[in-house]
Amino acid sequence: MSGKRILMLVAGLALIGISIGIALWNKPHENMSEAKADVTLEAAALFKSYNTDEKAADAAYLGKTIAVSGIVKEVSKPEGAPAKVTLDTGDDFSVICELDGLSQHTRTDFPVGEKVVFKGKCDGFNLDVQLSRCVEVK
Amino acid sequence: MQKLWFFLIAAVLMTSAVAAQNAPKYLTRDGKLKFDATATSSPEKIEALTNSATCVLDAGSGDMAWQVLLKGFKFEKALMQEHFNENYVESDKYPKATFKGRITNLSEVNLAKDGTYNAVVSGKMSLHGVEKDVTANGAVTVSGGKIRINAGFSLLLADYNISIPSVVSGNIAKEAKILIDATLEPKQ
Repeated sequence: MSGKRILMLVAGLALIGISIGIALWNKPHENMSEAKADVTLEAAALFKSYNTDEKAADAAYLGKTIAVSGIVKEVSKPEGAPAKVTLDTGDDFSVICELDGLSQHTRTDFPVGEKVVFKGKCDGFNLDVQLSRCVEVK
Repeated sequence: MQKLWFFLIAAVLMTSAVAAQNAPKYLTRDGKLKFDATATSSPEKIEALTNSATCVLDAGSGDMAWQVLLKGFKFEKALMQEHFNENYVESDKYPKATFKGRITNLSEVNLAKDGTYNAVVSGKMSLHGVEKDVTANGAVTVSGGKIRINAGFSLLLADYNISIPSVVSGNIAKEAKILIDATLEPKQ
């Protein structure tokens, strides 16, 4: 192989490497509307898991995409942040679903008492079970 | 009954004076925490935000406890977020950061009277399995029965056994800035 061909091969490989690097660096966040739920369960069951054994619940749910169903207990809209929907668990504490700031939502108001299903990422247990990047599942 | 709640409340209240036991307690679940580890030479911002920090404050003693879930920090770049969780804070192994401390100049901060006060908070912060003393300066604004806390402090990542690979040391600062903005309401 001539020196020129080797040079072209090296340059080609470098270009491919750089392209892969740029693509990885700029890869988008997961599209939550299309994300497949790893687990589907009721808010009360999710909360009970965490309240009973947080470590075991983290092993099962932390960082996973969870579809959680429950009755709306409260909706809050913190200033400069996505809305949060609190789902009743039958306890003083709840499952809180923070709506995804990167997705389009058909609604951000949810009547108290309505049964809803959200799909989101489980961030863990901080008094309540917290899910972020949530989208409503219809 | 929620065991964690009692742990957190007990941590705040156990060191309180007897006279302060009936003082109002304030709580938020919506505290904003910004993490900024952008090196001066970095072409991109290395920063993340969570809107879900929890804080409990005893207005009588000035004791406070914070807790934040590390997976709640959102970065603009998905890859940065992955690296933050997997390589730096190891959030599967250490899912939370906590701070337990006290307003040390409480005599200058009247939490029962509307106004804005300069506050100094000192305590212990736990991150990545390491506990360190931390002092933060900030503003406490009392208004309409709510308490707003704006504060900032820096932490050396190496103090918390968070190592930065040399290949990205030009982008990630050795010292991360933490900015806090939280509005606490009376605990029902």
